[in-house]
Amino acid sequence: PGVPQGSAPVTSLLSLAVTSEQIEHLHRRFKQLSQDQLTIRKENFDSIPDLEFNPIRGKIVHAFFDKRNLRQESDGLAEEINFEDFLTIMSYFRPIEMNMDEEQLDRFRKEKLKFLFHMYDSDHDGKITLQEYRNVVEELLSGNPHLEKESARSIADGAMMEAASICVGQMGPDQVYEGITFEDFLKMWQGIDIETKMHVRFLNVDTIAHCY
Amino acid sequence: AERSGGSGGAMQPPAASPGPAAPAGAELLRWQWREVQAPCLVAAWILVASLAKIVFHLSRKVTSVVPESCLLILLGLGLGGIVLAVAKKAEYQLEPNMFFLFLLPPIVLDSGYFMPSRLFFDNIGAILTYAVVGTLWNSFATGTALWGLHRAGLMDPGVEAGLMDFLLFGSLISAVDPVAVLAVFEEVHVNETLFIIVFGESLLNDAVTVVLYKVFNSFVELGPAHIHATDYVKGVASFFLVSLGGTAVGLLFAFLLALITRFTKRVRIIEPLFVFLLAYVAYLAAEMVSLSAILAVTFCGICCKKYVEANISQKSRTTVKYTMKTLASSSETIIFMFLGISAVDTSKWTWDTALVLGTLFFILLFRAVGVVLQTYVLNRFRLIPLDRIDQVVMSYGGLRGAVAFALVILLDREKVKAKDYFVATTIVVVFFTVIVQGLTIKPLVTWLKVKRSDHHKPTLNEELHEHAFDHILAAVEDIVGHHGYHYWRDKWEQFDKKYLSQLLMRKSAYRLRDEIWDVYYKLNIRDAISFVDQGGHVHSAAKLALPSMPSRTSMSESSVTNLLRESGSGACLDLQVIDTVRSRRDKEDAAMHHVLRGSLYKPRRRYKASYSRHFISPDKQERQDKEIFRQNMKRRLETFKSTKHNVCSSKSKARLKEKGRKKAIPLLSQKNISLTKETPNGKTHRNVPWQDAAPVLVMVSSEEEESDSSETEKEDDEGIVFVARATDEVLQGKTTPELCKLPLTVPPSASPGSLDVCPSPCIIPPSPTLAEKELPWKGDQADLAVYVSSETTKIVPVDMQKAWNQSISSLESIASPPGIESGPQHRRFACPVLEEQPQSACQAMPEQSSCFQFPSHISKSGRSQSDSSPEGPEQQELQPLMATEEQGRVPPSGEPRWLMFNRASHL
Repeated sequence: PGVPQGSAPVTSLLSLAVTSEQIEHLHRRFKQLSQDQLTIRKENFDSIPDLEFNPIRGKIVHAFFDKRNLRQESDGLAEEINFEDFLTIMSYFRPIEMNMDEEQLDRFRKEKLKFLFHMYDSDHDGKITLQEYRNVVEELLSGNPHLEKESARSIADGAMMEAASICVGQMGPDQVYEGITFEDFLKMWQGIDIETKMHVRFLNVDTIAHCY
Repeated sequence: AERSGGSGGAMQPPAASPGPAAPAGAELLRWQWREVQAPCLVAAWILVASLAKIVFHLSRKVTSVVPESCLLILLGLGLGGIVLAVAKKAEYQLEPNMFFLFLLPPIVLDSGYFMPSRLFFDNIGAILTYAVVGTLWNSFATGTALWGLHRAGLMDPGVEAGLMDFLLFGSLISAVDPVAVLAVFEEVHVNETLFIIVFGESLLNDAVTVVLYKVFNSFVELGPAHIHATDYVKGVASFFLVSLGGTAVGLLFAFLLALITRFTKRVRIIEPLFVFLLAYVAYLAAEMVSLSAILAVTFCGICCKKYVEANISQKSRTTVKYTMKTLASSSETIIFMFLGISAVDTSKWTWDTALVLGTLFFILLFRAVGVVLQTYVLNRFRLIPLDRIDQVVMSYGGLRGAVAFALVILLDREKVKAKDYFVATTIVVVFFTVIVQGLTIKPLVTWLKVKRSDHHKPTLNEELHEHAFDHILAAVEDIVGHHGYHYWRDKWEQFDKKYLSQLLMRKSAYRLRDEIWDVYYKLNIRDAISFVDQGGHVHSAAKLALPSMPSRTSMSESSVTNLLRESGSGACLDLQVIDTVRSRRDKEDAAMHHVLRGSLYKPRRRYKASYSRHFISPDKQERQDKEIFRQNMKRRLETFKSTKHNVCSSKSKARLKEKGRKKAIPLLSQKNISLTKETPNGKTHRNVPWQDAAPVLVMVSSEEEESDSSETEKEDDEGIVFVARATDEVLQGKTTPELCKLPLTVPPSASPGSLDVCPSPCIIPPSPTLAEKELPWKGDQADLAVYVSSETTKIVPVDMQKAWNQSISSLESIASPPGIESGPQHRRFACPVLEEQPQSACQAMPEQSSCFQFPSHISKSGRSQSDSSPEGPEQQELQPLMATEEQGRVPPSGEPRWLMFNRASHL
């Protein structure tokens, strides 16, 4: 299988991380998922059996179709994505390079965080509101049937309070914390090396295990 | 020494001694040193070592520069020298048997049990590589190089050793020692990844060391001529057998341990014992079949922890933790001390400069080379590459220790001719690595600017995000169709959740087991503890002030002002408080309220306890947790409430309304905070429009309920709260000036006669709100702001309160099912009071205030019909504290007070 037509810009985009061999593999996988169509629709992800048990699978699949993640000008949700888009999403998960300088690292980090942020910010208003946060936590905890929704809510409330105290500090009396903005999000992540966590090993390894 | 006597200690009581074998005369005492000698010596050594530790830590400066292990070795050298000088021969040394059977297991268990398992398994690839490949490389390279040195004729001709001997020596000298690494690295605080790699390597290389040591030992015994090719194959096979077998034994016992602790609910007291016992049995079992015992205990510890911790009680958890740390720490102390002592025994060792220097040089060199080569390969696969600085620390952190020493002592002098040389070399190497490298690694780490570990407590957000991460990464691997690390981790977690946890965890523990929830819970408890601690400080100050409170003025000067200073320092969240200037007296009132509240806190708790005795009484700890949790939530809600109020302050109408309500029962609300809060906010909200929009504390709503019912009589009743006390003084003729100082507000309309002198709170007459502003709950909030300044955050609080109720109920379901009932219960007994009020308002109000002044019999007599209400016991509980408050004053009799009270209420 040859590298698809759309890969020229993509390879320049991903030139750092993804070798042509990996793109080939991804393309095979893409075709397998899309059942030899040019685009993938949401339903195609239902055919992945391992994904079924993932508590936040909805959010993740959603992220694949989120136009903000696809580096498109417009906002909203794409109906279907082509291989290029697929690669774009995958590129969020590439690991850091040994030879990256500070500035690159910073941009790299922000990109990854943006992806995550978009996943939480489901109404695309640039803020993770309490309700959105609650939804995420509820989904995260949905794997445990014994934890009630209420505890998920109180956890989300607690996390939100914590976020507010981290981001705003002491608030004025009639100040109201509306939600976590991306700047706040960055602040919250200061302590964690996201670049060392958010990556998939596959995207760095030359030899590809074919699992199907 | 075998103990001969059946009973008694060192001194046998005279009555026990007349026996058939009694010597000539009946002995009064018998000197039985021989019988207690062995344990006595052990105890003495431990004592000496522990005392030495205390001495070391007297000076912070010394311990910050010199690792404890160095100091202990030096101490051992000193003690050994003394013993040598006194006894003319070295009596004590580190016995290999004792070391392997008693001293090593606690250390390994401790490190395995408290190993950060996630980090360990995340880096397992690197750890295994360094442990297996690195150790193999080190021992072969060192052995061969030394042999080369020997062949070159650089060594003393007395060193009779062939290639096999040197390889044997290489195998024992090249293994990085867990005890030494732990001792040194714990004080260095390098970043977690680096630490886990070095430390994990030191634990896992045991299998390699054991196998190499045994194989070469048998080769040496056989002699080079008798070694066949099959023996090499056997050697390789035995490596897999020893390592995998050891791991399997560990896993088996971890499983057993988890399973056993699942059923210890009735015998909590022996829970910690199982942990130690089974881990030790795992060690012995592996040792028995000559598998890697260290691996067995390590994996037993790592794997059982999750389930065991979930199963055993909080107290057992603490016990396990401390016992393990104590045992490990004392073992370590003894090991290092005895290393020092053993070194003094010159009869055991023979010096050879070339061998010693050669070994030192080679182990450092080959360690560095090995690390660099392996890291080069590993970095191709690692997502977070190990940089140069990491490699330097890893090379330099390869400390040798007691394991090497014990192994070299175990060598058979008949078979290994050069044993004495090897012993000397090992001692020098161990001392060099522990003392020289141990001393210099800290400056080195600082100099190289190695990334240090930041020990911050996990925040809830981090935990949430990390969880989300795990799922995202697993999902991406699924989508890409690559079965990588995250895929398998995810699969394992599913398996664990589905089968293992179900099998190995108690139902109750399993149900609520979730990392996020755990973190949330812990954070809450932590917040609350710090809150209670700080609040407790204030309370205790108040309590101290209480007895020495002859007059209000002295009190206000001593503790109250301090109290206020403290409370004033925090950011004041409440606009209403800010915009009115508080008079000094009002502040005092607020402080006084604090005092009272502080002393009222405990009785409620006690009362709760006795109340729930009818049910399964919950674990004390759990109860405490609950209490703390409640406190915490209360705090959060109160800060939240203050926001709420502010939000509402713009709607002045609503505010006024609310204020008026609040006024009615300030004290009840304070006292009953925890009780009323549990009231589900159902009907209580009925006629308060703004509350439906955004629910506030039920505390407020209970006040409303109160005020709703007593709206009409409110004018008469409010302000009665502290009047009881005033009336005492009125009765005693000290009347008015004192009265003015009394806390709280008698509203002007309600205060004829003596009461109308009360000036301060009523600056603006008709509105109760102003006075109320200064009053307890407001002061409270200001105080809260002090305690939790960093935490006081506000978010749009849609239905926080509901969430609070829910979290409480979920918490209670952790504790015990009956706990849930407490909500309705409290509510039930809150209700009778409220319902009664219309008819007997004058009685209901005193009942509230009675928690401050009135002994229960008064309130009982005041309302005989509600005697059966559970309020009774509570008041009795409260009484003692009231008494303490009154101690400082002339003890008033109940009668006049009651009279007065009646008067006041009739006013």
